[in-house]
Amino acid sequence: MNNIYDNLIELAKSIHSQNLFTAAKEINGIRLFKNIFDFSRLQEIYLSYLYTFDTINQDMVIDKISEHVLDDKIYWDAYMLWKRKHTNKTENKDNNKKDLKLIPGKTIKFPKGS
Amino acid sequence: MVDRLNDAEKIVKDMEKETELSKVEELIKENKISFEKQGKQYRVRLLNLSEKEELDMLRRKKFGQLIKDKDILLEKELIATYLERGINISEIDDQIKKLDVEDIDVQIKLGESLSKNEGETIFKGYKDQIQDLRTQKQVLRAQKILLLEFCLENQLLNYVAQIITYLSLDELKDDKWQRMFLSLEDFQNYKDESIINKAGEYSMLLQYL
Repeated sequence: MNNIYDNLIELAKSIHSQNLFTAAKEINGIRLFKNIFDFSRLQEIYLSYLYTFDTINQDMVIDKISEHVLDDKIYWDAYMLWKRKHTNKTENKDNNKKDLKLIPGKTIKFPKGS
Repeated sequence: MVDRLNDAEKIVKDMEKETELSKVEELIKENKISFEKQGKQYRVRLLNLSEKEELDMLRRKKFGQLIKDKDILLEKELIATYLERGINISEIDDQIKKLDVEDIDVQIKLGESLSKNEGETIFKGYKDQIQDLRTQKQVLRAQKILLLEFCLENQLLNYVAQIITYLSLDELKDDKWQRMFLSLEDFQNYKDESIINKAGEYSMLLQYL
């Protein structure tokens, strides 16, 4: 085997692995590995790449981001970093909107999940 | 005719790639990495519970030995000794941190540019900047690693990596996998470094130190 790490990325990027990952997320009982706990370092890295490429594939379809994002590790890492920062910013904005100040000095916090 | 040859070459390459990928898929599923050396089959695997306990025992024993040895300095002691001789490791750390901040800043610009699909030339410009920053960081990190190579913490980490290899390396004998080394002494005296190095590289892919 040439370079396990490079092949691991190729595998996570492949349509076959992406289909399995989507199915495993949605259908209970589909497993990616023989073990269900005590994951190896390689398995954790593989899972993080499956998640990265799943997110990028969705964003290419929905948000029309550049397809070049899949060309290079620097590109996909940079995109995921920007996305995380961008999402946090949006979430913080939304959270601030949820709590209303109807009386000066008093914040009404709406219960979550009810 | 030339076209057909090119097509055939491409098909063979694709098939080879597929085989490589299915090998990786198998090893991820199984958590075992097999390799061949001089016609013999070896593999490394995750440690079982009793092997993890053995690792922990050996790690504690080694730490006890190292801490008693006055010639082996802790990382912070070694850093202080270097400072007395005019080598400031915290300055190297500061330079690395500064480059990290720049790296993240350019990455975010690149990420935004990719999200807006601004074009390959712009992506390439950011990529070159990131690569340049990373080369500078690698040089500084290599300097720091060399300077702190002999501190107690690093010696312990190297020892643990060796022990993981010793515990996780199996060989195929009579169609059965069995531990290659049953004693640490046998492992440490083993002559063929190429097998140990290969096994060490693979075991670090599976196991966290």
